Amino acid sequence: MVSRWMYISLVILYSFLLGPFIIIFMASFGANATMAFPPQGFTLDWFANVFETSQFIDSFWISLQLALSSTVVSLVMGMPVAYALTRFHFAGSGMVETVFSAPILVPGLVIGFAMLNFFVLLGDMQVMTGLFIGHTAILFPYSVRVISASLRNLDPYVEDAAVSLGANRLRGFLLVVLPNMQAGIAAAFVLGFITSFNNVPVSLFLSGPGVTTLPVSMLSYLEYYFDPTIAALSTLLVIFTVVLVQTAERLLGLSQFV
Amino acid sequence: MPFLEIHDLTVSYEKHKPTLKRFNLNVEQGELLSLLGPSGCGKTTTLRSVAGFIQPDAGQILINDRDYTRLPPNKRDIGLVFQSYALFPHLTVFYNVAFGLRMRGIPKEEVYSRVTNALKMVGLEAFADRRPAQLSGGQQQRVALARATVIRPQVLLLDEPLSNLDAGLRVEMRQEIRRLQQQLGITTLYVTHDQVEAMSISDRVVVMNQGEIEQIGTPESIFAAPETLFVADFMGFDNRFNATVESVRDSKLTVKWGGAPIELRWHSKFGSPQPGARAEIFFRADNASLLAGSEASGLAGQVILHTFHGNAVQYLVETEIGEFSIMQDSEIERFENGAAVTVQAHTQKWIAILEETEQ
Repeated sequence: MVSRWMYISLVILYSFLLGPFIIIFMASFGANATMAFPPQGFTLDWFANVFETSQFIDSFWISLQLALSSTVVSLVMGMPVAYALTRFHFAGSGMVETVFSAPILVPGLVIGFAMLNFFVLLGDMQVMTGLFIGHTAILFPYSVRVISASLRNLDPYVEDAAVSLGANRLRGFLLVVLPNMQAGIAAAFVLGFITSFNNVPVSLFLSGPGVTTLPVSMLSYLEYYFDPTIAALSTLLVIFTVVLVQTAERLLGLSQFV
Repeated sequence: MPFLEIHDLTVSYEKHKPTLKRFNLNVEQGELLSLLGPSGCGKTTTLRSVAGFIQPDAGQILINDRDYTRLPPNKRDIGLVFQSYALFPHLTVFYNVAFGLRMRGIPKEEVYSRVTNALKMVGLEAFADRRPAQLSGGQQQRVALARATVIRPQVLLLDEPLSNLDAGLRVEMRQEIRRLQQQLGITTLYVTHDQVEAMSISDRVVVMNQGEIEQIGTPESIFAAPETLFVADFMGFDNRFNATVESVRDSKLTVKWGGAPIELRWHSKFGSPQPGARAEIFFRADNASLLAGSEASGLAGQVILHTFHGNAVQYLVETEIGEFSIMQDSEIERFENGAAVTVQAHTQKWIAILEETEQ
C-alpha cells in the first residue's frame, strides 16, 4: 500500500505548497474591502488599483533594474570563479567554494543588517548603489554554483583537444567551453533574476526614502491597508515568474542544472 | 635516424621529486610504440610533454629533426586521442572532425572532402550530422580518432584510448586503431596500463616504472624475456620463487628443482652471477606439467585446488618451496585435490632474474 500513502502525502504536500496561492488568487478577485476567504462577489478593481498605485509602479521599475543589473554583474563575476573552481585544484580551493556559498547559508536578515552598517551608515552610499551591491553579493554564489554545475558536465579535456587541434587557449575557450556553458549561464540568469526580484530581507535594510523594491513596498503597503490589492499584485507576480521560468525551461531545459 | 626523439627529459610536478628524470626515447617513423606501466609511472607525463601541455624542466623533444621543446601545444601538429574521447558536445560529428582543419584555415571544399574521407576510414560517414551524445562509446572514439588524424599530424598520441570501452569492443577498436595507424603510416605513441593491449597493438613496447624505462623491446621479447623483476611481474608470470644459484655456465645458470638441477636463462643487472647468489625464478602456468606420484625428475607436491577452464584445468600445487599454479590440458590425466604429484619444469621458457647486489 506504499502507493496509496505516496499519493496521500503528495496531496498534502501540494496543498501546503499551492493552498496559500489558491487562496490569494481567489481573494484577489473578491469584492470585499478587506482580504477575505472565501471571497464574495467578483471584481477586477484591485488589479486596476495595482496599476494606479504609483508606489508599486515605481518600485517595480526599481526592482526590475536592480534584478537585471545585479544578475548580469553576478554572472560576469561568477563565470571566471566557476571556471577556476571546476578546472583547477589549488591550495584553498575548497575554502573558496565554502566562502562563496556563505550568502546562501547565512540568513538574509544578517546579511542585510551587516550591509546596512557597512555600506549605508559607514560608507554613506547612495541607496541604489547599496541595493545593487547587496543584491549582487547574494546572487553571486548562485551564479557560481549553477555555472559550475554546467561546467562539471563538460569533459575538462575538450580544451586540450581544441588546443591540440591548433586553437590557442582563448579560441579554445570561446569555441568549445563557452558554447557549452550557455545553458548554465541562462539558468543562473533566471535563478538570479527571480532571487533578486523576490528578495525582502536584504532590500529591507538597504532601501531608502523614495527608493524601494517591489516586495518591500508591498510589505509597507500591507502595514497600512489590508485590501486585496496586495493579493492582486501577488497573483500578477506569480504569473510573471511562472511565465519567465516556463519560457526558460522550454527554450533551454534548465531543470538539469538547478 | 629516429622520427621522434626525447633527450634527457626531466619533468617534476613537485620540487626535487621528478616524475621523469633524464628520460630518453626514440621512435622510428611509422612505428607504433606503447608506453606500458602502472598509474603514476610517468607514461602520461611523457605523452603530455610531447603534446606540449607540460613544460619540461630540462631536456629536448625533437620531431622530424625539428625542436619542439618550447613550441606551444597549438603549434605542434600533433594528433591527440583521450581516454574520455573529449569530443565537442555542441558540434556535430562532421564539425568535430573539421575543427582542426578550420583552425588551419583550410578552404571549405577541401575541409569537406578530407572530413568525409576521414569519416569513411572509420566507418562513420553516415553519422556526420549526429551529435556525440547520440553515439556509442566505440563510435565516439572513432570520431576522436578521425578528428586527430584528419589534420595529418606528425605524431599521433593516444592516452589510454580504450579504457572506457567494454571488453569486446576493446579488442575490435584495438584492431581498428592498428589498421588505421598502418594505413596512414603515422608515427604513434600509445599509452596503456594493459599489457595484453600493448603487446597486441605495438611494434615496440616500453615498460615504465617510476619515471624510468625498465625495458624496451618488441612485444615478443618482452613477453618471453623480461629483464627485471618489475617487468616479469607486470608481464603476468603466474609463478615466482626464490632460489640459490648452484653454478653458472655461459648463458645458463643452474638451480635446484626438487631432486634434479634445472638450467635456466638468466638476466642480471650486475654482470654474470656467482654461485650462491639469490635469483628470482619466473614461469607461466602452462610451462610446467604434472605427473602422478613422486618422481626424482621434478619437484614433489600436492594438489590443493583444481579449477576446470574448458580446454585446460588449472591446478594449485603446494610444494616445499611454495604454491604454484599449473595449467594442463584437460584431455590428459586429471588429478583430484590431495593427489601427490610431481611438477615437471619446461625450462626453455623459464627465466631467472638477479637484482640484488652480490655480497
